[in-house]
Amino acid sequence: MKKISSKLWLLMVLFLSATIIFMYIFTNFLYEQLYVEDTKSTMIETGEKLQTKYSGGKVSDQLIADIEQFAAMSNLEIFAVRNPRELSACVPFDIDYDALIGPDERKQLLLGNAVTKIGYEERFDRQIISVILPFTDQNRLEGILYIYYPLAKISELAKEEVILLITGAIMFLLVAGFFVYQGMRKILQPLDTLQHAVNQMTAGDYNVRVNVSVNDEIGHLSSAFNQMADAIQQDDEAQKSFLATVSHELRTPISYVKGYSEAIQKGIIDEAKRDEAIRLIAKEATRMERLTNELMQLARKEDSQAESYFDMLVFAETIRDAIRLVQQKANEKNIQFVQQLNEEIIVIGDEEKLKQVFINILENAIHYSTDHSSIRVESSIVESYAVLTITDYGIGIPPEDLPHVTERFYRVNKARSRSDGGSGLGLSIVEQIVKQHKGKLKIKSILGEGAAVSVMFPLMEEE
Amino acid sequence: MKKIIIYFFSCIVLLLLASCDSERMEDINPHQPFVASLNILQPSLTFYGQSGELITTWVFEKGYTGAVLIGFDQVLLYGYQLQHADILQLSSGKKVKSIEVGLGITNGYYDEDTSQLFLTNGKTNELISYTENGQLKKKVKLRNYPMSMAASKDYLYVINYKDTVLSVVHKENLEVIDEWPVSTSSQGLYVSHEHQELWVGGHGIGNKPNKFVRVYNLSTGQLNREFTLPLMPIAFSKADEDIIVSSHGSNTIYRVTADGDILWQQDIGANPFAVAQFQDKLVVAGYDDHTLYFLDDGEIQKQVKTKEGPFQLLVRGDSH
Repeated sequence: MKKISSKLWLLMVLFLSATIIFMYIFTNFLYEQLYVEDTKSTMIETGEKLQTKYSGGKVSDQLIADIEQFAAMSNLEIFAVRNPRELSACVPFDIDYDALIGPDERKQLLLGNAVTKIGYEERFDRQIISVILPFTDQNRLEGILYIYYPLAKISELAKEEVILLITGAIMFLLVAGFFVYQGMRKILQPLDTLQHAVNQMTAGDYNVRVNVSVNDEIGHLSSAFNQMADAIQQDDEAQKSFLATVSHELRTPISYVKGYSEAIQKGIIDEAKRDEAIRLIAKEATRMERLTNELMQLARKEDSQAESYFDMLVFAETIRDAIRLVQQKANEKNIQFVQQLNEEIIVIGDEEKLKQVFINILENAIHYSTDHSSIRVESSIVESYAVLTITDYGIGIPPEDLPHVTERFYRVNKARSRSDGGSGLGLSIVEQIVKQHKGKLKIKSILGEGAAVSVMFPLMEEE
Repeated sequence: MKKIIIYFFSCIVLLLLASCDSERMEDINPHQPFVASLNILQPSLTFYGQSGELITTWVFEKGYTGAVLIGFDQVLLYGYQLQHADILQLSSGKKVKSIEVGLGITNGYYDEDTSQLFLTNGKTNELISYTENGQLKKKVKLRNYPMSMAASKDYLYVINYKDTVLSVVHKENLEVIDEWPVSTSSQGLYVSHEHQELWVGGHGIGNKPNKFVRVYNLSTGQLNREFTLPLMPIAFSKADEDIIVSSHGSNTIYRVTADGDILWQQDIGANPFAVAQFQDKLVVAGYDDHTLYFLDDGEIQKQVKTKEGPFQLLVRGDSH
């Protein structure tokens, strides 16, 4: 009994059974009531007809005989009584006898009213329905006409129908139970499918999807599941490709280091070339160090912004600090910085992180610029943002690569990757920091003419 | 709110006044002969004059089931379910005495010779004697459910209704002198002084209604004879030399001679429990039709509706 459909089915069947039982009792009750009412009116009708036989005075033997004769042919029990003892005539006095009628009934009968009773009658030792009609003359209760019918007979009549009723009820319950079961299965089928899909997914199969055939809650749940599966699959693939890239990126320098160091050890490389080999080993080691550092940085950034320390910053000052740090590299390629900075811009941010952003962009610009070129560094206010645009006149980025440049390890020119020393993580880090600061990153480029990278940070709002 | 309080207050005052009033009934002229009907379904006493005219009605709050005249100016009222029996003065309409009698009083009898009041109790099965002022005198335990009483000379004859014994008791010391066998549910006594006989009526046993009046020798208790006067003769009244018998089961009133010969019989009223001779008229009380019938020479002269359930008749003549 673990399935929800079984529980619902059981509940429905229970409700149905309860309804049937209630209806059975209710019908029985109604039937008896109606039958009792019908019997009562028949009795009163018969009694009133017999009453007309009495023409006043004492109740004669003839009348009693007539009534007896009638009673013999009737299915009702009928008799006339004229014995005053039976009619509670002595009632003000204590009587030692249980009369056929009590003082209250006598009172009613004296008024000419009929008396009806339903219940146990000691005299007949059974449950009866009875009608008593008076023979009155000049306010005298000369006798009574007593008509009764055993209630058991009425119940017996009802009992004949009981077997039919119960059989019908059981048949109905079976048929209803079957259809309810089928209906439940149909309604809950998608849920079942969903459960299977979830199990498959738990087992690691991210390709599984469910068919959304209905537009109810289960349908919505199914499409939500599909979306979730898409997201998980994408994430999983990204994770896999990231790991593949990372291992690939590390394997190359390691193989360099391994190869050169073994060659040196074995003395394959002569004295003259040894320095060159050691320099290469050092260079690859530096590259690995840088790669791991950046990976760590990226991993840390993903955690949270908890480590960020936000402060009011003079935008231009931070930019200048960054330029100073990359000046050396620029000098190596004889690249000039053309600065046009708005000195009044103040932003809220983490100084070190902003600096990192600017350095990464500037390094890229230097990296892809040709020697003796220049790099423009401009800051301004656009709407409610502080905007820094760094423009180089280097090789530029192909349009098809533009949307992917912020992805980890994405490189425009794969062949160039290792030799240019970039890790492929710089813009990823930039994007992440900009997002943390609720800013925006925009990259424009014309292949062969250069690229313009803009970072926008919200201005400090004045109170 | 004030209005409601005032309304309630006046209601209470009215109720108090009404209850004070009920303590005092309308007085009866001491020279007025009457026949009074004690009605038990609507507890009341209705007084009628010689020609059947209504004198007054005393309506009671208590459920009295019996009444007996004490002399000419007092009436004792008692009830089976009442703790007290009350003595009311007719000429003033005031209650003059309330006697603690206990529950179960079935009958009262006033003996003029000894000026004693006798009450029977169906719960304790006692016969109790009082002075006419309601002072308790003596008690004696009789058989099961003493009720009907009649007196002759020094003796009181008491039927034990739920027993088969009639007790003969000495009026003064309440000693049980003798016990005579009678049928159960015997009711109604009549003393024929001339013949020294005691007439005993009754309801019958079980579903068998009694048809007989049994006549016993007053001094020996010997069953002398029985007359067939169906059905259920239970009330007697002396009419000149004859006796009036009311058989309530068949609504029949008989006038019989002391020898039991029926002079006339007539169906009168519905369930007549009481008959009485009032001056020259015979009065019959129909319990079921709540009607008093005034007869002259066996002819109904007048019938008057009373309150519901006329059960006993009290007669005060004008001979005082």
